[in-house]
Amino acid sequence: MNTTRQQVSVTTAPAKISFRQNLLEALSTKWRVVPVLLSLALIWAIFASQSPVFLSARNLTNLADQIATTSIVALGLVLVLVVAEIDLSVAGLAAVCAGIVGVLVVNMDVSLSIALIIAITVGGLYGLLQGSMIVYSGAPAFIVTLGFSLMLQGVLLILLPAESGLVPLAGTDLQFLAAYRLPTTLSYALPAAVGLIGLAMRLNDHRQRVAYGLPSNLMRSMAIGVAIIFASLAVVAIFNAYRGVPLTVAVLAGLIAILSYATTQTPFGIWLYAIGGNREAARRAGIPVNWMKMAAFSILGMLTALGGVVAAARVLGVSPASADQSLLLEAIAAAVIGGTSLFGGRGSVWAAILGALVIGSIANGMFLINASTQLRLLVQGGVLVAAVIADALIARSGSSSSR
Amino acid sequence: MQRSGNNKMVAMNDDAPILSLAGIGKHYGGITALSGVDFDVREGEVVALAGDNGAGKSTLVKIISGIVSSDEGRILFNGQEVSLRKPQDAAELGIQTVYQDLALCDNLDTVQNLFLGREMHSGLLRGAKLSRPLMESRAHAALSSLNVKIRDYSVSVGRLSGGQRQSVAIARAVLSKPRVILLDEPTAALGVAQRAEVMALIARLREQGLGVILVSHDLGDVLDIADRIVVLRLGRKAAERPVAEWTRSSLVAAITGTDH
Repeated sequence: MNTTRQQVSVTTAPAKISFRQNLLEALSTKWRVVPVLLSLALIWAIFASQSPVFLSARNLTNLADQIATTSIVALGLVLVLVVAEIDLSVAGLAAVCAGIVGVLVVNMDVSLSIALIIAITVGGLYGLLQGSMIVYSGAPAFIVTLGFSLMLQGVLLILLPAESGLVPLAGTDLQFLAAYRLPTTLSYALPAAVGLIGLAMRLNDHRQRVAYGLPSNLMRSMAIGVAIIFASLAVVAIFNAYRGVPLTVAVLAGLIAILSYATTQTPFGIWLYAIGGNREAARRAGIPVNWMKMAAFSILGMLTALGGVVAAARVLGVSPASADQSLLLEAIAAAVIGGTSLFGGRGSVWAAILGALVIGSIANGMFLINASTQLRLLVQGGVLVAAVIADALIARSGSSSSR
Repeated sequence: MQRSGNNKMVAMNDDAPILSLAGIGKHYGGITALSGVDFDVREGEVVALAGDNGAGKSTLVKIISGIVSSDEGRILFNGQEVSLRKPQDAAELGIQTVYQDLALCDNLDTVQNLFLGREMHSGLLRGAKLSRPLMESRAHAALSSLNVKIRDYSVSVGRLSGGQRQSVAIARAVLSKPRVILLDEPTAALGVAQRAEVMALIARLREQGLGVILVSHDLGDVLDIADRIVVLRLGRKAAERPVAEWTRSSLVAAITGTDH
């Protein structure tokens, strides 16, 4: 709360603007994660009071496993949503790519690493193809990707063995991969190392700002960095209190770090947001709009392929049920709850993860307190509607203030 | 640095034009949008382009900014004949256009908008790491040289005032060090205070030695700031005189064609 207030005093639009409007503006832009974090804390508090095991290391590890696929897909979906497109075919693609890995590993004796590379390549090329059809034809992504989603379900049925209709993965390297936990030392060393690199970059930024005579708050920037490092080490400690950090969680963390860097610290990232904000302005500034959109679709395709394999490894099999559309719905819900705009230009990598945590925590907690499926669906849907309405209201009242 | 009154006279009488259009014509099918238009702009001079809707203003703007090419006539830049076939041609010569829609990304902040498409890097990770401090200091230098005041460069431009947004769009054009800057209706839809802000900004551009082409519907703007006013009517040049020789009523008469 304190940081929010500080932010508000710095953020000044020209006209006289009330504290309330400034707060709304801050919440809808830089501090967009704050309301999501607060909701998450509230949800956790409710479930923790209802069920003693909700906050146990074992259940939190379970939760991480449950949201891994949704999170990986939501990460990619944020990129596509930011450029004001959408992809409704992720559930089908995830299942097809898992099917490819399953068939290659089980039926054709290909090694897992090669099968993974093939599946991720297929996902990337698929995204490129689908994206190019959308950007060059100008057809609405909503319908094109819906059509592809149906086609992918057909492809999945062709891919799976005709008699049994499923590929069992028990006993393969995938089972080993899904059960693999990082060694304790490594599990602490990795986030610490990444965190130190982040701190070094913040320090370097500060040095440059001072050299250029720009205002800079070293203490604040370092404090935030150190807080993030300690928070991630605490999360690692929770995992280690049960069976250790699952490989999928480590991979997800790595993806978050890479994409968070790419979207905020590179021209690529700024261009994505520029395209979502004002496509024509981006084009006039010389940004290759079509290529950027295709790249977003392609990255989503690769991440979806990976997410599909993670899901298959968790349930140890690929079947027609793998193309369950709840993956699509949960990934979109995660992105939107985290504050990603369907109109483009707004949303962050962290938002997707927090959104996935909100959706996943509700499902997990409702299961623990023995709530019925109908109640779980009502609550999850209600939270999604509340989140998107709150977001729209915040954005509207924030921007009407200054113009 | 320069006494602008004096400077105007010098500019108008002695200096060779930076950009000079001679006998420009443009036809769309059987319709003549422009015909036989001569138009010059010199260093440190604000030339206003006035005219009613359909007078050919926007066609001339598009020709100068390279969006459409002319069918007749010659374009000289620095005394050399050039062809403006696409917007990049104009940009490479040093002609920047600020369109009425400003072409800003409302979700990005001032610094990101100023450097969009030409981001700056520094340090080890060249090309893979933006240098926010470098860009922010350049942005600050550019904006203060134009007397533009924006309190927080990290506020998204969608939340700035109309005058500040116009200023950011102009500063973006100025950052590429043009010699001629073309402003298309810069004060449309601005309040009184914000209009004054933009007028002061145009005066700064003139002081910095840029050739400014001002396209405006607002006769008050035109008479306030221009050194010379060119009036287009029905695709032809109806009149061209130094601002001192215009009055509001003679300008209206020239624009509407009731002056003879």
